Amino acid sequence: MLNRRHLLQHSSLGFGWLALNALHSEWSHAAKPSMVNPLAPRPPHHPATAKRVIFLFMAGGPTHLDTFDYKPELVKQDGNGKLLGPVMNFAPRGKSGLMISDAFPELAKHADDLCILNGVRTNNPGHHQATVAMHIGSEMFVRPSVGAWVTYGLGTEAQDLPGFVTIDPIQDLGGAMNYGSAFLPATFQGTRLGSGSGSVPNLQSSYLSSAHQRQQIDFIQKANRKLLETQPGHAELEGIVQSYEMAWKMQSSVPEVLALDKEPEHIRELYGLNDAATERFGTQCLMARRMVEKGVRFIQLTSGGWDHHNNLKQALTDRASSIDKPIAGLIADLKRRDLLKDTLIIWGGEFGRGSHGDNDPRDGRGHNAKGFSMWMAGGGVKGGFKYGSTNELGNEAVEGIIGTHDLHATILHLLGLNHERLTYRYAGRNFRLTDVAGEVAKEIIA
Amino acid sequence: MKPGRLFPSPLPLSRSGGRGRTRQGARELTAKRSFLWVLEYSATRTQSPSPACGRGEGVRAWLTLILCILTITPTLSANDLRWSFRKLTRPALPNITDATWPKDDLDRFILAKLEANSLKPVRDAARITLIRRVTFDLTGLPPEWTAVEAFVNDPASDDEALAKVVDALLQSPRFGERWARHWLDVVRYADTVGRTWNAPFTYAWRYRDWVIDSFNADKPYSRFIAEQIAGDLLPASKVEQRREQITGTGLLALGAMDLSEGDPERFKLDQVDDQIDVVTRTFLGMTIACARCHDHKTDPVTQKDYYALAGLFYSSDTLPGQANKSNLTGAMYVDPEMLIDLPTKLDEKVAPPTKLPQGIHSMGDIQDATRGVGGNAPPYDTDAHFAMGVLEGKVKNCDFRVGGEPHDRKGAPRRGDIDIPDLPRFPTIPAGESGRLQLAQWMTQPTHPLTSRVMVNRIWAHLFGKGLVRTVDDFGLTGANVKNEALLDHLAVRFVTGEWSVKQLIRSIVLSRTYRLSSDASEAHLAVDGDNDLLWRMSPRRLEFEALRDAMLLAAGRLKFERPHGIQVAGTGGKGNAGRPRSLLTLDAPYRTLYLPVMRDLLPDAYATWDFPPPTQIKGQRDVTTVAPQALWFMNSELAERIASDIGNIEDIHLIYRAVLNRDPASDEVADAQALVESAGWTALAQALMATAEFRYLF
Repeated sequence: MLNRRHLLQHSSLGFGWLALNALHSEWSHAAKPSMVNPLAPRPPHHPATAKRVIFLFMAGGPTHLDTFDYKPELVKQDGNGKLLGPVMNFAPRGKSGLMISDAFPELAKHADDLCILNGVRTNNPGHHQATVAMHIGSEMFVRPSVGAWVTYGLGTEAQDLPGFVTIDPIQDLGGAMNYGSAFLPATFQGTRLGSGSGSVPNLQSSYLSSAHQRQQIDFIQKANRKLLETQPGHAELEGIVQSYEMAWKMQSSVPEVLALDKEPEHIRELYGLNDAATERFGTQCLMARRMVEKGVRFIQLTSGGWDHHNNLKQALTDRASSIDKPIAGLIADLKRRDLLKDTLIIWGGEFGRGSHGDNDPRDGRGHNAKGFSMWMAGGGVKGGFKYGSTNELGNEAVEGIIGTHDLHATILHLLGLNHERLTYRYAGRNFRLTDVAGEVAKEIIA
Repeated sequence: MKPGRLFPSPLPLSRSGGRGRTRQGARELTAKRSFLWVLEYSATRTQSPSPACGRGEGVRAWLTLILCILTITPTLSANDLRWSFRKLTRPALPNITDATWPKDDLDRFILAKLEANSLKPVRDAARITLIRRVTFDLTGLPPEWTAVEAFVNDPASDDEALAKVVDALLQSPRFGERWARHWLDVVRYADTVGRTWNAPFTYAWRYRDWVIDSFNADKPYSRFIAEQIAGDLLPASKVEQRREQITGTGLLALGAMDLSEGDPERFKLDQVDDQIDVVTRTFLGMTIACARCHDHKTDPVTQKDYYALAGLFYSSDTLPGQANKSNLTGAMYVDPEMLIDLPTKLDEKVAPPTKLPQGIHSMGDIQDATRGVGGNAPPYDTDAHFAMGVLEGKVKNCDFRVGGEPHDRKGAPRRGDIDIPDLPRFPTIPAGESGRLQLAQWMTQPTHPLTSRVMVNRIWAHLFGKGLVRTVDDFGLTGANVKNEALLDHLAVRFVTGEWSVKQLIRSIVLSRTYRLSSDASEAHLAVDGDNDLLWRMSPRRLEFEALRDAMLLAAGRLKFERPHGIQVAGTGGKGNAGRPRSLLTLDAPYRTLYLPVMRDLLPDAYATWDFPPPTQIKGQRDVTTVAPQALWFMNSELAERIASDIGNIEDIHLIYRAVLNRDPASDEVADAQALVESAGWTALAQALMATAEFRYLF
């Protein structure tokens, strides 16, 4: 029989087997639980249409009334009382005729791939609460993030890259909680990358050869494993052991994946890398595509600055143009590589904006959580499809309502996971991402 | 970001009735009311024609809510809501079987719970483990090797030997630095404003130093609170004391305000909201700021209570050194009229300065001074008489704002007309006074059920890794239940009767048997209480970023113990190169980490890598994540390599182990170390030791 030390030394990623023991009751389908690598790919509950997710998070709450939710009544009532009509023109796009505003001219060309969700809502129009709820399903408690749940449920196909990556995440409004693992083992939490130069900091030793550094890491790991023997099952210490193996692999795999300069010129152009306005988000999108190819399970990109209380038209034009071309490029590129069909792209913020003009001179909009828009593409959702709607003035979702639990249930469903079965036992309770709620929006599935 | 723009509550909490009745009656009513509220909530949600309920969300929502409440407060009953509001009384010492184990009364409360669960505490930690633990806990630094040897070889009993060490550590100026940083986490300390116009807080450091000095002087916690809320209003017998007290109000001026907010009324209300939030969460563990736009959804705080409290801050002038920028054409580095000119005579009226004295006070001054000279930018001149903080302003009640909307006014509750059931009555505020003084008095009365419990719990959390109440900043209904209520109350009573001495409380705790336990874990213990809620051992705890960096600098002989002089933040926060906010101290500066400027939104990557709390947030408990970038930081960061190189210069395996891990190596470790040195060199060894889990953790 294998003893603990033996297992620690010989499991491929240097995991503590006790972490696996803690998990194995959750993985009854695994043949030999004690040999399971927590990040190894695992079969879903039911056949999946999406294998991975790219979540394009728009921090601040982008307006739906001027982008993806066309409200003729609001056009009519512009200036009536405190109402502010759409600051952008809408037009039918593609064969499907989806109404998308001029804020996103490039993305609009892919209208027939988009599944626009007009009935999304969050519970609370405060940035902090809504952002956290969108990411972890709870405003009140620290819970694992969506990406952590997905990685826990499915593992990852990229063994030398993190299973869950978040690029340029927001620092506040929950901060690391938005990609944390809470009570799930630390291995499932998101790894933060930056889109700036260098991307992952500290990827290379300035003085050790690769062989010497490996020897150094072996020394560190030997000490760590010895320590673990006195602390059986200590998830954080196990996480450290694992973090060194991951770090070691990342030193070569990350630069390879993130070597965007190896991309041909036409691809760099496609993502808008040659234009200062789109370079940042374009870099994120191209990084995402390269990680998708490697099999990273969950990738979140963040674009900030969508909290447009004032000067909406200019501010929206600026923000939208910084992401429009990159996102269009991402969709086109994934499609060309036949990856869009099983990559679920999700776009949206923590809430939308209200139909009233906000501060004087009433040229912006306040927060509106009761009804706003997100969209999905790829991953088995209907293209050129609009689901749900808001009331006449666009303030409140009235049909096809998708709350955060519903959104999460739907994402898990597309990934082949039943949100009621994806549970983790902690503190005497089986926890779910969707708590005791969540309904899959089946109508959007192709 | 505008957190205040919330819609009116869809969850009405009826507040009629209950006012003016007996306290007992009020308590029952509160309990009933809260319970009724759950039912009312469910009714509202299920009967509402709101489309949200069309798919059964409403039903689920209240089910969730009830489930949540039941989960957090398993012993909940109608008369048992909000244990934290209960009158503070000295609990009887529990009966225990093994009377030889406890060293301090607090140990009896731990042992009683363990015995009830048929668990025995593990053995005591070895002295070599204990010295590292207690030195880091009290000073944020590792023990010097001489201190390790002295303690390990001390022929005195464990009790005596430890007491000697602890008393010396409590006297060390490093103690205040360590515990000040804990405090700064809670009070969202930063050296820049953050948000849209990230201007420097040019005098934030004075508040920071005040916190350090207060902990070092063991200022009674009640006084520590009072100075932060109303230091400008407290009596003083010496001008130095008066200056110090005013400096404490810096707490109220550190908010992350949106300096480009064009609506002065909203700006003022946002500022007031930040002040209410920081004061109530920090000192009371209450989330009163939730009631800005609607009655609190879970705690018995009405929107009226909120505006009655808001009036106190509404009647005060907040002087952070930065004015609202929305009406200004040019951006200044510092706005002197937004500072406090500290008094030089006891009876001097305190007011903002009228102008800056001679010297370098702006980016423009720096450019002038360096023109044609080149070289390093000179540091800014600081004025010994300036501070940021709060003074009395134009006293008036704050209008109630419907839905939190600044311009939707409806009457003004009287300042201080706060009626939170089960909490002491708020004193009457005399006309012409803001009421901050009365707020400080109200909070610091010995019978206030929250003030002492919250602080005792914070201290406990820093010494054991988690609080007896896990949610250290939330003692309300959404907060966690208390794990050992009698112990918390025992400590709280001791804290209050011990004249609110933080040092005395810490001393008692670290000399307890519980604190001295080893971190050994057995399968049997883990099976019963894997989270160590019962404290059968000391849980291993990861060191914070500050402690890691300081320990590295110390091991390399690079750490200086003085404070950097003056303002260390450049940039006005506005546009252009002169506007770009930046720290003048980098990570390899020789100072303790708490002295490096905390730049909102601009902290070096390493801070986030090591879970430094976002400095816009009130965060008494840090996250602990374990991620590959932490490994990479030790393996490859410039700082780690430079430090390793310095330590490597020692060129002696034993001495390097002592410098980094505060112990001698075992013989097999010596052999491994030798092998590593022979192939990869001394730097590689020093670096490897810093990179171990052992270095990063306290056991």
